[in-house]
Amino acid sequence: MSSLLSVENLTMKFGGLVAIDDLSFNAQNNQITSIIGPNGAGKTTVFNCLTGFYKPTTGQMYLHKDENKVSLRKYTDFKIAHVAKVARTFQNIRLFPAMSVLENLLVAQHNELMFASGYSLYGLLNLKSYREKEKQAVDKSKYWLDIIGLTHRADDNAGDLPYGDQRKLEIVRAMCIEPKLLCLDEPAAGLNPKESAELNKLLKFIKNEKKTGILLIEHDMSVVMGISDHVVVLNYGKKIFEGTADQTKNSKEVIEAYLGVDE
Amino acid sequence: MEKQDIIKSFKDSLFTGLIALALFGPIVGLRTVSKGEGLFITPQWGIVFLLVGLCILGRFLININSAKKTEFKFLSSFSSKFAHITEDKAKHFAITGILFAVVFPFLPFTDRYFMDVAIMILTYIMLGWGLNIVVGLAGLLDLGYVAFYAVGAYSYALIATTFGWSFWICLPLAGVFAAFFGILLGFPVLRLRGDYLAIVTLGFGEIIRIILINWYEVTNGPDGITGIPRPSFFGLPFKRSPDEGEASFHTFFGLEYSTMHRIIFLYYLILVLALITNYFTLKIRKLPVGRAWEALREDEIACKSLGVNPTNTKLTAFAIGAMFGGFAGSFFATRQAFISPESFTFIESAIIVAIVVLGGMGSQTGVVLASIFLIGITEIFRDLEQFRMIAFGGAMVLIMVFKPKGILANRKPTILMHGDKK
Repeated sequence: MSSLLSVENLTMKFGGLVAIDDLSFNAQNNQITSIIGPNGAGKTTVFNCLTGFYKPTTGQMYLHKDENKVSLRKYTDFKIAHVAKVARTFQNIRLFPAMSVLENLLVAQHNELMFASGYSLYGLLNLKSYREKEKQAVDKSKYWLDIIGLTHRADDNAGDLPYGDQRKLEIVRAMCIEPKLLCLDEPAAGLNPKESAELNKLLKFIKNEKKTGILLIEHDMSVVMGISDHVVVLNYGKKIFEGTADQTKNSKEVIEAYLGVDE
Repeated sequence: MEKQDIIKSFKDSLFTGLIALALFGPIVGLRTVSKGEGLFITPQWGIVFLLVGLCILGRFLININSAKKTEFKFLSSFSSKFAHITEDKAKHFAITGILFAVVFPFLPFTDRYFMDVAIMILTYIMLGWGLNIVVGLAGLLDLGYVAFYAVGAYSYALIATTFGWSFWICLPLAGVFAAFFGILLGFPVLRLRGDYLAIVTLGFGEIIRIILINWYEVTNGPDGITGIPRPSFFGLPFKRSPDEGEASFHTFFGLEYSTMHRIIFLYYLILVLALITNYFTLKIRKLPVGRAWEALREDEIACKSLGVNPTNTKLTAFAIGAMFGGFAGSFFATRQAFISPESFTFIESAIIVAIVVLGGMGSQTGVVLASIFLIGITEIFRDLEQFRMIAFGGAMVLIMVFKPKGILANRKPTILMHGDKK
């Protein structure tokens, strides 16, 4: 199987603090790769490096698109999503709360729509080509809303949705940019068991039907063990274990990192 | 109601009276009169006690009311009725408003004074609509909007007096210049948000004004620019006695000469300009760039994670907002025929921001209501001279107390999947 993302010797220092220490791992296409570890292990920092919010101190991150090898270091903030097609969600949900659910999904398709609207010129003239493109964008939004069962609330404000729905909406909003790699930062945080199960279903759907690689940070082990194809365990910025879910469960290093060592 | 409550609210109102005394004592109580050589102080304790008494009584009534857990019935019913009108029948409201604005100059009670006030209100409505793009939609608090108003006015004045070009050529040019200054301001403040952005834009407004005062060779400094050409009605000037071989408006249409013609023309000019601003804003709000502005206001980091370019998005908001400020500025210049830096002080920016905020961020109708309310009230109380700013402040306080999110704070989605349910 082809590798989608390869992280090579990634190091991120904040002053004297080494948040990530010489981390290397691969994520495969059509797989869910989980990054787990105790609090403060540097998981979110890895995400912030990958998605251009931080510039890593040293190390390389490559995304394999078709036959090309794209270095993510070259892109900063919005270009990561726009050009490199890496989408992410956030630990604390970042929807546009005062905008409707549909609008949230349309903002995710901003660049295509902007181009179709001739940078607003055709849009102001209300040309047919733009109207058709807008209709397509609405259809695409509807497709995703149908999957998460929120079509009936498309015109409500995103901030008015229940918490679990907001989580799902944020994930499908990220999917609307048609990413190669989807990075999810604790998507199951604060969900009840039923909602977690729905989330698992959604992630499996994205993996199988959309052929998108998923990188997942998660504390909820029922989610991690249920859907991960590959698990990377971090502690104090270092990779301490890498393997399948089952291997991870039985790994001595991982148990020690989480529960401490017997005296 | 408990006896304790009454005592408590009575104490509270006495305290209010104390504060009122401290404020009104020196401001109202001591009046300086100039007699012969020097100033003499005449105390006016009667008025002070009247005002303080009113404050105590008012506070007491409010306290008792809130203790009873009932609101002022008439106010709440008024405000809910108000919300009802504007939410459900926004379109009817807008059409009625525009129709009224169109026939306004020909109503029997309309005189020169009314027209002048109406033109002023419309200018502020247009400025409010322009600023609404920057503050209401993109969420960038711009306290220096008057700078673009000034740039528009001065570019119009300078181009028109230097090259003698007509209003209709100078107007777009003034808009372009203002938009250029919008981008110029936009670049350094891209990274700033909230309070910091407000401070820098405030500074920008002052910089422009100070340049206008000091760049004497070009702007004529504090003396201002005089003799700015008046607009003509498609080439027909509004003159009592037109030049040899030239038709003026009243001779061409065979009318009696009246100064009102020009006023009415100016009125329609600003009405059309304002409506264009409104139409443009309503349109662009529904386009991707408009949605990106609102998304940027909601959450900039989420925008970046979705591939929205925040730099371009902010700059377009600044440029387009500034352009409409520039249009309004050229209108101002052609109406006054004289401009000086004095017309573009910070208080103008503050009034425009107040109109946008009090109207309800992003609400087009709210801007209209707030302009009429704020400018109208200061005009009604013009006889009170320096005290009319109290009326202005009072109007702001009233809106903030009863409508803390602005007169009209409801936002309609730009696109609906299920259509209008009503």
